[in-house]
Amino acid sequence: MDLAVEIGGESRAMCCAGCRAVATLIHSSGLDRYYDFRDALPERPDAPEADPGRYAAWDREAVLDFHSGAEKEGRRRIVLVLENVHCAACAWLIHRYLGQFAGVSETRLDVGDGRLRLQFAPEQTPLSALSAALERIGYPPHLDTPHSGLDRDRNERRRMLRYLIVAALGMMQVMSYALANYIAGGSTDASGSMDPETEHFFRLISMLVAVPVVLYAGQPFFRSAFNHLRQRHLGLDVPVAAAMLLALFSSVLITLFGQGEVYFDSVVMFVFFLLLGRFAVMLARQQSGAVHSALARALPGQARRLTATGSEAVGLVELQVGDQVMVADGEVVPADGIVTDGDGSVDESLLSGESEPRRRAPGDAVLAGSLVTGGSLQLRIEKTGNATVLSGIVELLSEARRRRPRLARLADRAAAWFIALILISTALAAIYWWRTDPASVIPVVLAMLVVACPCALALGTPTALASATRGLALDGVLTANPDALEALPRVTHVVLDKTGTLTEPGARLVEVRPGSGLAREEIMGLAGALERVSNHPIARAFAPFDRGRAVAQAENVTGAGVTGLIDGRRYWLGRADWVSAQAGGCCTEPGEGIWLALVAEGADEPAWLRVDARLRAGAQALVASLVDSGIRVVLASGDREVNVASVAQSLGIAEFHAAMRPEDKLAMVERLQGQGAKVAMVGDGINDAPVLAGADISIALAEGAAIARTQADLVATGRGLQPLEALFEQAPRVRRIIRQNLVWALAYNLGALPLAAAGLVPPWAAAIGMSASSIAVVLNARRLGRTRRRRPAHSQPLPRTAAEVA
Amino acid sequence: MKIIYVLIPLSLMLLGLAVWAFFWAVRNDQFDDLDTPAMDILDDDEKSADDQAPETRDRRKTK
Repeated sequence: MDLAVEIGGESRAMCCAGCRAVATLIHSSGLDRYYDFRDALPERPDAPEADPGRYAAWDREAVLDFHSGAEKEGRRRIVLVLENVHCAACAWLIHRYLGQFAGVSETRLDVGDGRLRLQFAPEQTPLSALSAALERIGYPPHLDTPHSGLDRDRNERRRMLRYLIVAALGMMQVMSYALANYIAGGSTDASGSMDPETEHFFRLISMLVAVPVVLYAGQPFFRSAFNHLRQRHLGLDVPVAAAMLLALFSSVLITLFGQGEVYFDSVVMFVFFLLLGRFAVMLARQQSGAVHSALARALPGQARRLTATGSEAVGLVELQVGDQVMVADGEVVPADGIVTDGDGSVDESLLSGESEPRRRAPGDAVLAGSLVTGGSLQLRIEKTGNATVLSGIVELLSEARRRRPRLARLADRAAAWFIALILISTALAAIYWWRTDPASVIPVVLAMLVVACPCALALGTPTALASATRGLALDGVLTANPDALEALPRVTHVVLDKTGTLTEPGARLVEVRPGSGLAREEIMGLAGALERVSNHPIARAFAPFDRGRAVAQAENVTGAGVTGLIDGRRYWLGRADWVSAQAGGCCTEPGEGIWLALVAEGADEPAWLRVDARLRAGAQALVASLVDSGIRVVLASGDREVNVASVAQSLGIAEFHAAMRPEDKLAMVERLQGQGAKVAMVGDGINDAPVLAGADISIALAEGAAIARTQADLVATGRGLQPLEALFEQAPRVRRIIRQNLVWALAYNLGALPLAAAGLVPPWAAAIGMSASSIAVVLNARRLGRTRRRRPAHSQPLPRTAAEVA
Repeated sequence: MKIIYVLIPLSLMLLGLAVWAFFWAVRNDQFDDLDTPAMDILDDDEKSADDQAPETRDRRKTK
């Protein structure tokens, strides 16, 4: 097969048909410049051809009404959640490519969370065509559930932007008025000083600007302080809001009735810098929720509903309790229901953690999000939408994500004590100054309230964790439990699972032993053709060798093998005992491993094919880097001794345990913990669930929908193990930066308070000092958001194609 | 120095204008997508922008 595409005048080799289709499409659409812009390689698309029928239901009125908003002239606005969005070049490609379709008037992709906002005219290009087009270039779309927080996030962002802009412009203005006063006040001779009338005018003007600006832009602080006080709790914003209002109103009184200093410039500056800090925190928090569309990904795009005359594709929102739907082999169950007809096995690994598909017969319940892997089922819908079990699981997960990290809670408690301390010492200082120099009371109180605000203390940990979460998400690690990031550097042992963790799920053909006169190539071609009817993971190992030979009377016997007529001759391929029973006694497996027998009708000796799982990309590097950093690596697998030993040997793992059941693994982890070890367990998140729960830190490898269900602290996505390497490299940095932030914040607060109490810090310097300390903390934390590096090897097409096996 | 009684109210009007302009920009999605516009500037040799359907040009205008 020739898999080359001409890009930029050069012929480039492609790894698979999917990549070729995408590259050809990009080239023929005149979008070659994508290659100049991209800074990360995309995933390989799974299917070379996208079928618009998969999205047919999305054109239905009910679906459009539910998921999209109507615009003028029959246009619609919809939000799609895209997979595999990596960098700005993806946004560029999608924007350009979709822009070529008639009626598409707006495409806006948020690279952070993969949401595409699309405005289109359904009568010119239907949504199904656009969706199929997106899938074709490797970004499978999912419908977003409305009210999923997207609008809320956007409104919050806009509100903060408005506060920030008002504060910034107001600050510039008030500062420029204040500057005149500073310059005049600085000169001593009569010609340079300002006459009282002008000075009063400047104060009035400053007041005119500062009062509305502070009252408008300071709203977040006033509101939060009020809420805290109502709950009888000393929040961070209490001294902040007190300082703002005190400075503002004392200045207003002085301007209108009295003599003395005014602090309009200080208070506006204070508001602006505080808002800047809040804005940075808000952005980090909004961007870190990378998993929030898990529900959308776990469910199919449409369902096949049975009607009196046949079946129709409908959107999931149209499903009603009591509807009858068909779910064919390889499809995902759209809603919780009861099997009414048909017979097949269902993979519920997403929901129950059970990795083996279970048989489901009429009367049995099936759950939304499970995959039908053999046969087809007819269901009566019992629960839809938010009532499904899957939806409940996702809800639980997002609940857990809203939890504040442990260190942040500690810092909050410390901050509450600190605030009480500030208020008390401010009161004491006020009494002292009242008795010695009443004119200094207000500046000292202001300076103390402002300078000692423990904002930096409270911001230090959450901002660091939020930006680390974001940075890791770009590297492919999703953080479900931020505490794990902080605990990870203390890990002494890493226990790795083999199947599905170090090796890829699925299988590949590793060995062929020809028998009975058939040539190697011939055997592989026959196997490829025969396994076409099977959906078993092992069958996928043979797909690359399918040369499209016609198979008559093809049949798939679940759990045994496949059979069919090729060129008039019957073949059996499958488990040795089944094949020998069918074809007449022959044989036993020639060795360790998973062997399939291929027997032709009338032949006495079978050909043997061995399949095995291949190592994930980056396994070697991960083990090496863990060992380098002094962590003991243990391989624990349920597989047989020989297989485990060979993997351990090839990766350089000294300690391995074979034939371990999950209980044994858990016991081993507990034994290690008993010896004082901190254990991180890396598993595939499905059959390792109990072990993951028992380890100090659990890391699961998951793709697509499985992400929604896993209970692990950290989830590595994608096909390779590079994300894990990035995780272990990044974790010590996270810890270091949190430490730096806390130490710096404490040192600043404890140092500045006595100085302010002594009257050595004017209010404007206090505002700058406090803001600078917060901003220093936020900027320090943001260093974690930058990815360590963007190495092109991230998802490079490794030798995983036919060339490697043949 | 009487000129400041004219200039300062003028600066206040400018301030109001600036606040209004920024609010308008926020309301019209100008701050929503900060990734792709940075790419558009590199896109000088793209001819398709001119010979595309009018909707496409509308979109470019509103950006």
